[in-house]
Amino acid sequence: MDMFLYMDLDTMVHRLDPRTKLLLMLLSFALGVMYKNIVVLLAVLLIVLVYGEMGHILSNLKRIRVVLIMITLFSVVIWSIAESGETRFLIFSLEGVLYGVMIAVKTNLMIVAGMIFLSTTKIEEIAEGLVKLKVPYRGAFAFSTAIRLVPMIVATSYTIIQAQKSRGLDLESGNLFEKIKKYVPLMIPTLVSVIRGTNVFSMALESKGFGYSNTRSNFLKIKMSGIDYLMLIIGLVIVAAASYLKFDPAAYNTLITLFPWGDFA
Amino acid sequence: MKDVFAMWKNTKMVVLVALSAGLYAALLIPFKGFVLIPGITEIRPASALPVVMGLLFGPAGAWGSAIGNLIGDFFGSLGIGSLFGFVGNFMFAYVPYKLWTNLGLVSKNDNEPDLKSGRKIGAYVVVSILGSAACALPIAFGLELLGMVPFAALGSIITINNSVPSVFLGIPIMLILYPRIKKWDLLWTDIMDEEDIPVAGKLSKIGGSVMTVSIIVGLVGGFLAAIGVGQALLYSGFGAGGDVGSAGVLAIAGIGTAGLIISSFIQSMPKAESEG
Repeated sequence: MDMFLYMDLDTMVHRLDPRTKLLLMLLSFALGVMYKNIVVLLAVLLIVLVYGEMGHILSNLKRIRVVLIMITLFSVVIWSIAESGETRFLIFSLEGVLYGVMIAVKTNLMIVAGMIFLSTTKIEEIAEGLVKLKVPYRGAFAFSTAIRLVPMIVATSYTIIQAQKSRGLDLESGNLFEKIKKYVPLMIPTLVSVIRGTNVFSMALESKGFGYSNTRSNFLKIKMSGIDYLMLIIGLVIVAAASYLKFDPAAYNTLITLFPWGDFA
Repeated sequence: MKDVFAMWKNTKMVVLVALSAGLYAALLIPFKGFVLIPGITEIRPASALPVVMGLLFGPAGAWGSAIGNLIGDFFGSLGIGSLFGFVGNFMFAYVPYKLWTNLGLVSKNDNEPDLKSGRKIGAYVVVSILGSAACALPIAFGLELLGMVPFAALGSIITINNSVPSVFLGIPIMLILYPRIKKWDLLWTDIMDEEDIPVAGKLSKIGGSVMTVSIIVGLVGGFLAAIGVGQALLYSGFGAGGDVGSAGVLAIAGIGTAGLIISSFIQSMPKAESEG
């Protein structure tokens, strides 16, 4: 069962330091938050997609396409009704449609940036990156362990469901709420089974020296290289250019003159 | 907030953070498709867990809730909202275990969360709803601040979406889990060093009251201010439009959020400082 988005490839983006990829993701979040302009947001989305293509992971867009499509439909429909505008058709306004498109691009931009980060970075790299960013080791350990536990917990619950089905439990019939009602009691053995392992897990960790020292060595070594600094510089230059465009009245007015329909600042 | 940081020195608490986070994420992920607000929230039966984890595992449950929600976001909705989601879900588990002892809802001499009396079940319902609201407040405030989602709509949807499972599913889960957790010596008060466990003293009670007032003022006051600028509650909020990012809403919700965080520090004093 492949639950995670990570794709094991050997590309330039995969080889980047996890800190670089994390910071690039945060920079794309910042750009998404900074603007309420369709043209600028689409340009940023294009840059993010080019970055994703460099990592050869855009095929993962298929796995999150339902989320992306729902965000777009929801935003466009809701805002086309909610936003007042001069150009109206029945209960919809053209200005609202454009505003909805802007919100959809903004939200999808951040989700795609997050997807690229997760598709190109292993869990252990994220954990080690967090440690290098001064997140305490124990916090990073809990984070990475929790992610590793998710498939195990899902597998445990699947086993419990199969066991109950073999005893005649009918989980297929009924509407959504009836199904939820049937699934809820199955949570309990999963919870009990997972929590019961706490003492053994703790002893196993301590027997391996967990907590002996705050500074730990790690098999996985991550190091910033020239390409990391180059990518960070490119990211910062893009943010600086976007900030200039945003805060220089002359430049911003030129943008609005060129695309008067796309700005909602 | 001493207990929140002191717990990391205890290996069993670290393990409980990982297990709580894994359980929460594993229950969140299958429902990612049942979307309420795309990219922001969905139907969450998993919301039954943070209050239970908070009351049983204390700070480990709070960290587990925050990390578990972040991991859940990894499956298709990681974005700027995840940062506020981290804080909100931390509070979802943190507020109940703090207010359980510090709000005077249960007897000082019998404050174990075993839900064996009507008074304790009532207290559970109260702290669950306050925890749900404490989760909604920073998330709705943050996304209003960024001008992404209307405060009134998001705040009300999250509060209800969290309250219903945490009350209706949380109580039976708690009744079943508590005796086992107690038997296995996994209650956070049994695991942590005594000097790190806060007790209900004068300062703690003040902190608990400030926390409650901050949640109610921040959320309800924020709703009233938001309605004043044309927003509406629940899904009507998306149809109503209104001014997203207005100064009045941000001021009230911001004060509530700040009060929520500051009050956490006030009521975390260990025994000696709390009573001194």
